[in-house]
Amino acid sequence: MSWISVEKAEKLKQKFENLTIEENNGYLTVETPKENLINLLKTLKEDPEYQFKMFIDFTIIDHDTKSNPRFQGVYILYSPQYKERIIIKTWAINEELPTLTTLWTGAKWAEREAYDMFGIKFEGHENLVRMFMWENYPYYPLRKDFPLKGYEEVELPSLNEEERGDQLEGLFNYSRMHTAIPTLQDLEITQKARMPKKSSQIVLNWGPLHPGTHGTIWFLFDLDGEYVQKCDIIIGQLHRGVEKIAENIGYQQFIPYTDRMDYIASINENHAYVIAAEKLMDIHDKIPEKAKWIRTLMAELSRINSHLLWLGTYALDLGALTMFLYTFREREKIMDIFEGITGARFTINYFRIGGVFADLPYGALDAIESFIKELPKRVDDYERLLTRNRIWVSRNKDICVITEEDVYDYGLTGAVARASGVPYDLRKIDPYDMYTEVDFDIPVGDKGDSYDRYLVRMEEIRQSSKIVHQCIEKLRKFSKNDPYFFQSEDPKKLKISIDGRGMKLPQGEVYASTDNPRGELGFYIFNKKAGIKPYRVRIRSGAFYNLQIFTKAIIGRPIADAITLLSTLDPVVGETDR
Amino acid sequence: MGIKKVGTKSQTIIEKIFFLDFMKGLSTTIKHLFKRTITVTFPYEILEPTIRFRGVHGLRNVDGTEADDFMSWIKKLKIKPPEKGETRCIACKFCQAACPVPELFTIKAEKLNVPEDHPHHGLKILAVFDMDLSKCMFCGLCTQACPTDCIIHTDIYDLSSYTRRNWVLNKEMLSQIADDFIARRGKEKFDEKSKWREDQTVWPLHEEDLKIRAKLWDGNIPQLGPNYYDQSDKTTN
Ligand code: SF4
Ligand code: SF4
Repeated sequence: MSWISVEKAEKLKQKFENLTIEENNGYLTVETPKENLINLLKTLKEDPEYQFKMFIDFTIIDHDTKSNPRFQGVYILYSPQYKERIIIKTWAINEELPTLTTLWTGAKWAEREAYDMFGIKFEGHENLVRMFMWENYPYYPLRKDFPLKGYEEVELPSLNEEERGDQLEGLFNYSRMHTAIPTLQDLEITQKARMPKKSSQIVLNWGPLHPGTHGTIWFLFDLDGEYVQKCDIIIGQLHRGVEKIAENIGYQQFIPYTDRMDYIASINENHAYVIAAEKLMDIHDKIPEKAKWIRTLMAELSRINSHLLWLGTYALDLGALTMFLYTFREREKIMDIFEGITGARFTINYFRIGGVFADLPYGALDAIESFIKELPKRVDDYERLLTRNRIWVSRNKDICVITEEDVYDYGLTGAVARASGVPYDLRKIDPYDMYTEVDFDIPVGDKGDSYDRYLVRMEEIRQSSKIVHQCIEKLRKFSKNDPYFFQSEDPKKLKISIDGRGMKLPQGEVYASTDNPRGELGFYIFNKKAGIKPYRVRIRSGAFYNLQIFTKAIIGRPIADAITLLSTLDPVVGETDR
Repeated sequence: MGIKKVGTKSQTIIEKIFFLDFMKGLSTTIKHLFKRTITVTFPYEILEPTIRFRGVHGLRNVDGTEADDFMSWIKKLKIKPPEKGETRCIACKFCQAACPVPELFTIKAEKLNVPEDHPHHGLKILAVFDMDLSKCMFCGLCTQACPTDCIIHTDIYDLSSYTRRNWVLNKEMLSQIADDFIARRGKEKFDEKSKWREDQTVWPLHEEDLKIRAKLWDGNIPQLGPNYYDQSDKTTN
C-alpha cells in the first residue's frame, strides 16, 4: 500500500526520457540519468499529482571497483498527500552528483555522510565537509575496497602489553595495530571546517563529553551575547561503521549489532531490521501470529521504556530531579520483565528474522499486565508534577518551534514530526506485525514547540499502554503449542534458522521502516545476488535526521534553550552515528 | 484513523495567584515521600538474575541428560565417546559459525594418540576451547546453535578484571562454570533432555529472592499465572 503504483510511475515517462521503472515485490524504483535528476525530483515534489514533499533518505551503493560508473545514488521520498513512497536511483558519473539541498534542506547531512563514507562530491553543496570522520582522514570507509578492520596504523598499547611487554602469546597476543585516531590538530581543523565563517569572537563548544548532551555530541555555537547566531554539530565519536559490519556478516548475526545502535530502545531497532529482512524474503505475512503479537507487545513496552528514560533525563536537565527517580522506578520494572523474557535488560536481541527466539516464559503476561495497569496512574502523577507547573511551561512553551514545512524539508519523523502537526506514524501508514489489528490514536500537536513535543510523548506512553493491553488480551487466546517461529515449507529453497546458520536471502532490494521512539528507523537492504550476507545495508536513522533540525531551530534562541531543544528532540548517539 | 490533538489550557488567574500548579505538584512528591524504598541495597541484598539471563558462558559436561541425538553427533564428528564428567563439546564449531564475533572462539580438536588396535584409534577429542569474553556481546546465538546443548549461558554477570587476558576462558574454566551453574540452578532452566524447560518462569520463585524483588515492584509483586489458555497452572514452591 505504501508504495507508488506502477501506472502512476509510468506516467512520469511522458515527461522524462530514459526512465527505467522496476518493480520488485511492490517496491518501486525509478532510475534516471543524472542530467534529469533534479528536474525529476522537482516535478515529483511539486506536481500536484505526486507531491513527494517529504525527504526520507539518501544513500549511495558502491557497485565495486570493477563497475563503471561505480556509485549509485538512492533517494527515498514520501508523499504525505497520497501516503506513498518512491525510490529514485541515479548513477554518480565521475563520482559526482548534483546537490539536493536546493529542494530539501534536510539532504545536507545525508550528502555529507555520502561524501564522508563514499567520497562522492555534490555540486552546489554549501559546505561539503565530513560527517562522522575528522577532516584529515584520508579514506572513505564504506567503499567496498576499504578493509573491514580498517587500515591498521596507530598503536595503542593495551594493559596486557603494558604489563607483559612483548611477552604475548596465543590469545593474549592482542592485535597491537589499530585504526587511525585523530590528533588534537585534526580536531581543531575539523572544528574550523564545520564553522568556516564565524561572526562572534568565540565559538562556544558544548560537549562532546557533557552530561547535558546525553552522549557524545559536540555542539558549536556562534553566539551574539546569549543568542545563538549559527550552530553546527560534530558527531561521529560513536561511529562504529555498523553498515559496514552488516555487509560482512550473516543476517541473524547482525541483529545484536542493531541492539547497539539505539541502545535505549534496542527492541525497536531489532524490529525494524527483522521486518526489512522478512519483507525481502517475502515471508512477513507468513510469520506466525503469536510471534507477531509478541513482537508488537515487546516493541510497545520498549517504547514506553524509552519514553520514560526520555522524560526522566529531560526533566532532570530542566531541573526537576525527582522526575528522574520516579521514571527510573517504572523503568526498572520493564527492565525486569525484559530480563525475564529475553535474558537481557538492555541489548536484548530477542527478535529473529522469522519470529522470536523463544516463547514467553510462565507468568510473563501477568507481570506485564500488572505493570501496565499501574502505568497510566503513574503518568498522571508525572503530569501533575510537570504539565501545568509554571516553570516547566515557561521553559517549554513557544521554545524552538519546528514548523510543518521543516518536517517535510528535513525528513523529521516520530514524535518530533507529530508535535508539529504531521500525523506521520508508520504504524498506521505502513503497518507491520499486528498494528493493523490494534486500536490506538496518533497524538499530534499544533504548534511544534518543545511543550508540544513533551505532550505528544506523554500521550504516546498512554497510547502504547493501550496497545499493550490489547496485545495481552489477544495473546491469552493462543495455545502454548502455537509456533513462535516461522517454519519453511521447503527448507531446501528457503532455509531459516533461529541461530542464522546457513540462512540465505534472495536477490533484490527492500526498504522497510518502523516507527521507533526516535522516529522512523528504516533499513534499505540491497542484494545483488542471493547470499548469506547482504550486499549493502543502509540504515535510515530517525535520530540522525531529527538531530539535524537542531542547527536550525536553535537559531535566535538563547543558549539555555539548547538543553530543552536537545531533550525534546531526544536523539541517541548510538543511532545517529551508527 | 484516530488522531488525537494534544494541548492544555493556559493557567487561570486563580491558579496563578494561589500557586495551584505548585500545590498539585507537591501533592505528588509528598505522596511519594511516604512510599517504601524500592532500592535494592546491593551487595547486601543480591537479586538473583532471571532464569533466562544471559551471563558468562559455560561448557556442559556429560551427565546423563543429553538429548537423544547426542551419540549420533559424536559419531558423525568422529569424537571419542565421552565418559560421564567429560565435556559434551564435539568441536563442531557451530557456535563459532553463529557468533557475530567469530574471532573470539579458538576451538581445536586433536586426534587421539593411540595404537592402531585401540578402539579409539582415529577418533578425536576437544583440545582447545578458548573464549575471549571481552569481545562477546552476550547475544545468545552460540547457545542456540550448539547441537549438543554444550555451550550455555549462566547467571554470572560480574566479570570485571584488571587485565584483558583474564577474560579469556579456557575449556577447564568453562566446564567448571557450567558444572557450578547446573548444580545451582540447572533444574530451573533445563529439562531432562537439556532443552529449555517449557515452564520457565519470568523470574525465580524462591522465597528470599521474591522478597527482594518485591521491593523493586513497590512491595506488591504480581502473582504469576499461566500465559495461554491451555498452559497448566504452576504451583509456586
Ligand atoms: S553470546 Fe553471542 S557474541 Fe558471545 S560468544 Fe555467544 S554468539 Fe558470540
Ligand atoms: S557448538 Fe557446541 S559442540 Fe559445537 S563446538 Fe560449540 S560448544 Fe562445542
